[in-house]
Amino acid sequence: MLLTPEIITILALDFIFLFFGTIAFFISIRIARYWDLNSTTPLQYKLEKQSFLVATIIKYIFVVKLPLFLFFIFTANKLSNVIVGAMCAAGVVNSVSFGSAMFFYKILNLYIFGFWLVLNHFDLKNENQPYTRYKFLLYAIGFIFLLVEIYLDIDFFTSLDVSKLVSCCGALFSAASTSSFSFIFTVNKLYFVYIFYAIFVLLMISYIFKNAFVVLSLNLIYVFIAIISLIVFFGTYIYQLPTHHCPFCMLQKNYDYIGYVVYITLYIGTFFGISGAIMSILEKKKEKFYYNVSAIFNVIYAIIISAYPITYYIKHGAWL
Amino acid sequence: MKSKINLFLFDFSVLSIFRRGSKNIFIFFVFTLLIFLLSSVLFISNSIKSELDTTLNALPDITVQRLQAGRAINMPLSRLNKLLAIDGVNAVIPRVWGYYYFANAGANFSVVGIDQFEDQYRDLYTKLCDKFNFDKLKKDSGMLIGSGIDQMLKNNFYQGYFNFVKPDGSLAKVKIDGVFKADTALESNDVIVMPIKKVREIFGMKPDEAVDFVIKVANPSEIPNIARKITEIYPDTRVITKEDLKISYQNLFDYKGGLFLALFVISTFTFFMIIYDKASGVSSDEKREIGILKAVGWTIDDILKEKFYEAFVISFVSFITALCLSMFYVYFLNAPLLRNIFIGYSNLKPAFDLPFSFDFQTFAIIFFLTVPIYIAATIIPSWRVASMDADEVMR
Repeated sequence: MLLTPEIITILALDFIFLFFGTIAFFISIRIARYWDLNSTTPLQYKLEKQSFLVATIIKYIFVVKLPLFLFFIFTANKLSNVIVGAMCAAGVVNSVSFGSAMFFYKILNLYIFGFWLVLNHFDLKNENQPYTRYKFLLYAIGFIFLLVEIYLDIDFFTSLDVSKLVSCCGALFSAASTSSFSFIFTVNKLYFVYIFYAIFVLLMISYIFKNAFVVLSLNLIYVFIAIISLIVFFGTYIYQLPTHHCPFCMLQKNYDYIGYVVYITLYIGTFFGISGAIMSILEKKKEKFYYNVSAIFNVIYAIIISAYPITYYIKHGAWL
Repeated sequence: MKSKINLFLFDFSVLSIFRRGSKNIFIFFVFTLLIFLLSSVLFISNSIKSELDTTLNALPDITVQRLQAGRAINMPLSRLNKLLAIDGVNAVIPRVWGYYYFANAGANFSVVGIDQFEDQYRDLYTKLCDKFNFDKLKKDSGMLIGSGIDQMLKNNFYQGYFNFVKPDGSLAKVKIDGVFKADTALESNDVIVMPIKKVREIFGMKPDEAVDFVIKVANPSEIPNIARKITEIYPDTRVITKEDLKISYQNLFDYKGGLFLALFVISTFTFFMIIYDKASGVSSDEKREIGILKAVGWTIDDILKEKFYEAFVISFVSFITALCLSMFYVYFLNAPLLRNIFIGYSNLKPAFDLPFSFDFQTFAIIFFLTVPIYIAATIIPSWRVASMDADEVMR
């Protein structure tokens, strides 16, 4: 196990999340079971007070988790100097078999906790507090994911081995690799580009008509197709190298940390799209603010990502 | 989601901090001290690391030592030609150097032999060759010494010369021909430079031997390949590349910093308990205040927000204060006391300045380990205070 300051920091905060998360978990289970706004029992009175504690804890966890996730990637990038064979975070994360799973849970939790805050906002705005039970049930599920994430975090950091040889991103993200996503490299990459722009156009149209189900499903598809097309096609233009397919290297200094901008805009855009759509379904009215934010950030993402191939073509007069 | 910062609430919290001045000053003081300690240690570690990085960049690409029974022994010069024949090798330079233990001061000198007309393996030596007259050095068997050694010899009443004790017990008197100061003091403070012949004489080495070889490689990406070839030709050698050294240094410093941090985390959690306790102990005055606030229409959420602002202001102001203090302490005062953790106890090493180096990452580490932990400690106590019943506390 490595005992670098960064790892200690992440683990210390993980333990704080675990401590407060557990408290919030037990309270929210109780609230989900016994909540009854019309009753005047002491229990209900107590639960109403406790719901504020849970809300505060969840706000706290989300607000700290968001920058901590970026810090985690930053740390993984730094560790790649120490671990043999790794050249960026991809090699470090994939030095353990559950690396991609850990990443998936981290991102999933950001969506869940973020959505919880949206739900909480709408719940408190309405004097009948219609979503209280659901939001605490949602938290209980989210807590399970949080537990998994913390467990994977600890397992990941303890099983990091300096002397073990790992693959660099060039080997991981290629058609020759045996990983679960290597099949995407065998398909013609232009298909993904067409699909990406097709989904993007559909998404923009859906913001005009504001049908919640359509917005929701298109946003979900958009996240995946955006990431896949980034790996297969757009990333190669960021690196200006047709064989470089890594989604992590762009987070490094050599590429002006552009990855952070790309991923953050993608997160904000799709997060507001998804949560806005779900809230529209629940509230039965169109959440314009959420749709607008989502549309703006999704457009920014598409512009940044398209700018790379276009400027490349203008400069060099050829595609990669 | 569209929560804005309520400036009136913020103003109220700042005033509330001052209203309970004595309690908050204590917390502020201790917290600042804690962060100050942590950031100082990380700054020192960073600074030494950056100094070492410059040193390491000046190091040779490959160093070859000969091992016997697991210990390094001298390398016969006859091996040189075979190493030179490897493709991609620019130069093979035999090094003659060693540590001379000076018992009076309890310090080790690094004695390095260089030849004026050979390729130098460190920029420092090239500069020395240009600056000082080596013919004179050879003629009157003199030496050049680092500024740290100069100071030490003066303290031991050696004026202008030094007596080395040879392995057979006889003395070798060497004149001091010059004193040099390099850009990075860490690598040159304890160095003595003299002609190769003299070094062999002092250490009793045979003329056809060197301590080790350093190898210059034309293409840096060829280094691992060449290192492998060398071990194939001479299996009894240990081949150390620059990359190996860099990794082991980063590990060492991460370990040292990490060890301190592990201790720090324990103290932070202790502090966590103190804050928890302090924040829970609500005076009757404070209770009445909360009661009145609730009676005039504040919700639990408002009071929680107010308490959060309070915690954030205290912890963030301590954070900034501590950062400024420790920057001053480390980079202006050169971190007295604390830097000994990193440098060790050698008498000669400590006399150098810590170069300024500050990266975003250190900043993030210090932030994550302090401000969120402080705020976390206040969550439950603030909620307790906020959820008190107005009628009960005002009674």
